[in-house]
Amino acid sequence: MRKIERFSVLEYFLRSLFGILAIVLLSVLMLIAAIFLLSNQPLTSIASFFAGPFSSLYAIGNMIDHAVPLAIGAVGIALAMRSGNMNIGGEGQVYAGALVTTIVALALPGWGLTGILIALTSSMLVSGSVAGLSGWLRERWNVSDLITTFLLSNIIILVVDYMVAYPFVDPQTNLISTRFVDPSYHLPILLPPSQLNTALLIALLCVISAHLFLYRSRTGFELRMVGDNEEFARYAGVDHRLYRILPMTLSGALYGLGGALAILGTYHATIKGFSAGMGWNALLVALIARFKPAAIIPAALFFAYIDAGARSAMFYSDVTYEIAYIVQAVIFFLISSRILQRIALGRRRV
Amino acid sequence: MIHTLTNLSVSAITIMAPLLLAATGGLFTELSGMLNIALEGLMLVGAFASIAGVFLTDSLLLGLLIGVASSMLLSIILASVTLYLKANVFITGLAANLFASGITVILSFHLFGNRGVITFDTLKELPDLFTRFAQQMPLIAGYHVLTYLSVVLLFAAWVLLYRTPFGMRLRGVGFHEQALASLGLSPHRYRFAACVLSGLYAGLGGAALSLHLGSFVPNITAGRGWIALVAVFLGQRRPIGILLASFIFAFAEAFSNYAQGAWSVPSEFLLAIPYAISLFAIIFYSVFETRKKRVEYRKG
Amino acid sequence: MKSITKIYPETQRRANDQVDFTLFPAEILSLAGENGAGKSTLMKILYGLTSCDSGEIQVHGQPFAHPSPIEAGKRGIGMVHQHFMLVEEFTVTENVVLGEESTALTGFLDRRRNRQRVASLIEEHHFSLSPDDRVMSLSVGQKQQVEILKMLMRDVNILILDEPTSVLTQLEIDSLFTTLRKLQRHGVSIILITHKLHEIKDISDRVAVMREGRMVGVYETATVSEEDIARAMMGDEGLSVVRKERHQMNLDPVLSFDHVSLIRHNQDHPLLDDISFTVHPGEILGCAAVSGNGLGQLESVLLGNLPVSSGEIRYHDEVLTSVHHTATTRKRGIPFVPSDRLYTGCSLTEKVSDNVIATSRKRFFPPFNVSRKEIESYTSQLIETYGISATPSAPIGTLSGGGIQKVILAREIEGIRDLIICCEPTWGLDVNSTAFIHRQIVQLRNDGVGVLLISSNIDEMLALADRLLVFSRGGVSARFSASDMSSLTKEELSPYLLGKKRMEVTLA
Repeated sequence: MRKIERFSVLEYFLRSLFGILAIVLLSVLMLIAAIFLLSNQPLTSIASFFAGPFSSLYAIGNMIDHAVPLAIGAVGIALAMRSGNMNIGGEGQVYAGALVTTIVALALPGWGLTGILIALTSSMLVSGSVAGLSGWLRERWNVSDLITTFLLSNIIILVVDYMVAYPFVDPQTNLISTRFVDPSYHLPILLPPSQLNTALLIALLCVISAHLFLYRSRTGFELRMVGDNEEFARYAGVDHRLYRILPMTLSGALYGLGGALAILGTYHATIKGFSAGMGWNALLVALIARFKPAAIIPAALFFAYIDAGARSAMFYSDVTYEIAYIVQAVIFFLISSRILQRIALGRRRV
Repeated sequence: MIHTLTNLSVSAITIMAPLLLAATGGLFTELSGMLNIALEGLMLVGAFASIAGVFLTDSLLLGLLIGVASSMLLSIILASVTLYLKANVFITGLAANLFASGITVILSFHLFGNRGVITFDTLKELPDLFTRFAQQMPLIAGYHVLTYLSVVLLFAAWVLLYRTPFGMRLRGVGFHEQALASLGLSPHRYRFAACVLSGLYAGLGGAALSLHLGSFVPNITAGRGWIALVAVFLGQRRPIGILLASFIFAFAEAFSNYAQGAWSVPSEFLLAIPYAISLFAIIFYSVFETRKKRVEYRKG
Repeated sequence: MKSITKIYPETQRRANDQVDFTLFPAEILSLAGENGAGKSTLMKILYGLTSCDSGEIQVHGQPFAHPSPIEAGKRGIGMVHQHFMLVEEFTVTENVVLGEESTALTGFLDRRRNRQRVASLIEEHHFSLSPDDRVMSLSVGQKQQVEILKMLMRDVNILILDEPTSVLTQLEIDSLFTTLRKLQRHGVSIILITHKLHEIKDISDRVAVMREGRMVGVYETATVSEEDIARAMMGDEGLSVVRKERHQMNLDPVLSFDHVSLIRHNQDHPLLDDISFTVHPGEILGCAAVSGNGLGQLESVLLGNLPVSSGEIRYHDEVLTSVHHTATTRKRGIPFVPSDRLYTGCSLTEKVSDNVIATSRKRFFPPFNVSRKEIESYTSQLIETYGISATPSAPIGTLSGGGIQKVILAREIEGIRDLIICCEPTWGLDVNSTAFIHRQIVQLRNDGVGVLLISSNIDEMLALADRLLVFSRGGVSARFSASDMSSLTKEELSPYLLGKKRMEVTLA
């Protein structure tokens, strides 16, 4: 009988936590070094970067609010990736979801909760179909979903840009934006004076449902099977057609939901380009979380923290916002290294 | 009509240069079996560093070298982390792109005080070649030097890949890396080299963009690195194919520029044309390939 | 090689345990042993593909430390692997010169000279190859010749061949042995890793036997018999013979193939040629062939991966697959042990428990599963019943081949009703696992289950099958009924396997 080493669950958890903390610490040190290099007021910069996001309820609330669409999108990506698909069209899908919700809200003024539900559903349908189309193309003709989701996304962004600038533009503002939706479509604020709203609850709901779905339901089990070994899944009778299209549709729908909630909860109008970066950031959050729903909330919060810190540093000192990109990049380089992971976990097979 | 077509083709060839260079870079990594989505970031770094270099040293050549060296540096980091620290190549590629976006803006701000567009009035321009013949043979003469270089370097890449031992081994790694490992050749070494080469070419492509324009805009590459990757796939991972695919995309972009000026179609739709063409192209290509590969069995 | 030891840390398995090994110039030595005995590991250490934990090696009298394939190459050691290390898309020339390319002064490939070098080697050894052939178009025997050419190009004087004959036809084996003998005359020493007894007797001068990581004995081949070698390879357990009594047969078939054919659109010769047979409860029907003669297609058609061009496959009276409709046996719930256990049969990265319940998902997720306790206890139960050395949450990839196969078998048997299909069930397994699986199969048959056994392992067929079909080039070339089986020998089977003889067909 061969002896196989196992750590207890707690030990494994603590070790991974330790490993991640070590990497984060390393990145923080590099950030501090970079700030010293680039800033004329390094101490102010550092202070505003790290403490800024927590300096007030306003700051904390907005930071968490920022994490909401990221978390929702990341859940979608996790589902897509776990089933062996790729969806890098998040930018377009979020943007489209936002616009659809705006249009519905403008078309059905004063409809309140019912209107919200219709708007959200429509957004999810539209964005879901776009991603689902890529999935179908991959299933039917083996067209690379990496390429189709990307190209479709770019086209959609341009289309939405056009819609916002011409048919749906609000002539009364200086911004290129649609009109604002009426207050009955605003989601209730949870933490005034920040923008944090009930979309947070929806995000939590998504994460929890995704976790239960993946690990406790038959469909989720089959989804994971297809992602792990397609041949085996086929042999075991799993309908792999379904799992090419369904996870992609879900991920698109979730991206769309994120965009829609961003409108209803935070922005209240589709301003041209407002969602730039949300799609990519959600992807990055999913990557940090290693596509595990349970890790998505902390990952999204972490990401939002870095973003908020960079913004605050930009406000209160002379550091450029783009320093956030550098930090994120370094973190990704380090976190994805299996060798570093192995070291962090104490040479256990990763 | 012919006049318009000729003009369009001329524009297309100029537009094609950065794309072709980046696509050739992508060819190396793709043939070695390493997914490389960092072409965008590498181009960006090359674009920025070369223009900054030209400004700082007042020499086109030096600026170009600085640009290429910078992008190669990024590709070295990328390759090291992916191959020797065993990181997921998709994540590191994204991280490289992120890094490039960030560093270019930061350096732009700190060197030139401007996070946006940087232009220089006194900047040296890229020389045009064969201008004497530009009138009679507009299709071949009168382009700037990097355009010609892009074709020459494509040919050089072909020679490297198909006429040298290095190229043969690199392709072998992409086909069957175990075969090479069993002979004692390290697949990592060849992938590393491929990545650095892609950094060289993509950086050059970025330089072609910014130096031709004479300025640097954040996100000047605007997805061209990704289109270059699409071109590699569409071109069936062969130099001739890449040339054709790059030309097609460039032509689409030239056409959309022209149409924006000549007709009153909203600019957004015209900007979408290259993407739409790429999309249809790749769909048709996949349909064609799938049909070809489908083994038919007789019935009855 | 002296006192070579290698331990795999994850499993604490001693792949090589204090092994001593000597090779003399210009001799052919067989390194024999069952699967998992450690022969491949020892040679991989020699060739530098892996390292040993302790021990030392001397080549031509010089110590050989820190071996790597390049170092080994410099000392004149070459290795032809079991799974070919060829780039299919390259030509013969390109594959052979890879790593040792001739270049012109400018650094470019000297294509003419490369081609010339390869062409002259081909001629010297009378291989049936052309330097410009693309490797993917070559037969298995030819591919092996390319591998040997690679070695010859590098001036090896110690050539290691890892299970070279497992994929060859008899003709190709003869050709290989001729080449090897010629090399020996040129002064090359050859190490042949194999477990085929008659080949050992046929070609080698000496034979070194390993068992469970240890060197058990070295003999002059002329002085030992096949039985002696077999006994050394397998220890005191002797040949694993599975007892099987004659059994009553039920008349209604569980599975029938009715004139099934499979023809590719642009080919003349059918991949499956008018196959008809029946499987009855309580019997083991064997389909035997040399690999490549239709067994793979048979399996694919049963799995539902390929359609049929004509004919029907029926389960009891129900049509599973016909010209109009392809169904997978899985859909009908028929247990199936596939030949590719690593990729088709399981998901390597997943836990044992997830693999076990993969085909009975409905039962455990109806459609939700609140706690994994049921899954865990079910898996633990199976682990105990089948003697699998693993825990339910271990990734299945950490198990040995035998362990993985046991998991697959356990999973399939649990869902059994009256039929099971097994393809190459003991391929690459050690003696004990093989015996265990054979016992399971016989037990199923005794319990009244119909077993369709598809395998290229003739010994296995002769031991287990109640009735036997021999396939050759896609068609049934022989049928043996229950009474024939008791006296059937390998010699009798051989011409049918090779397609030299064909029995007249009368449907049983």
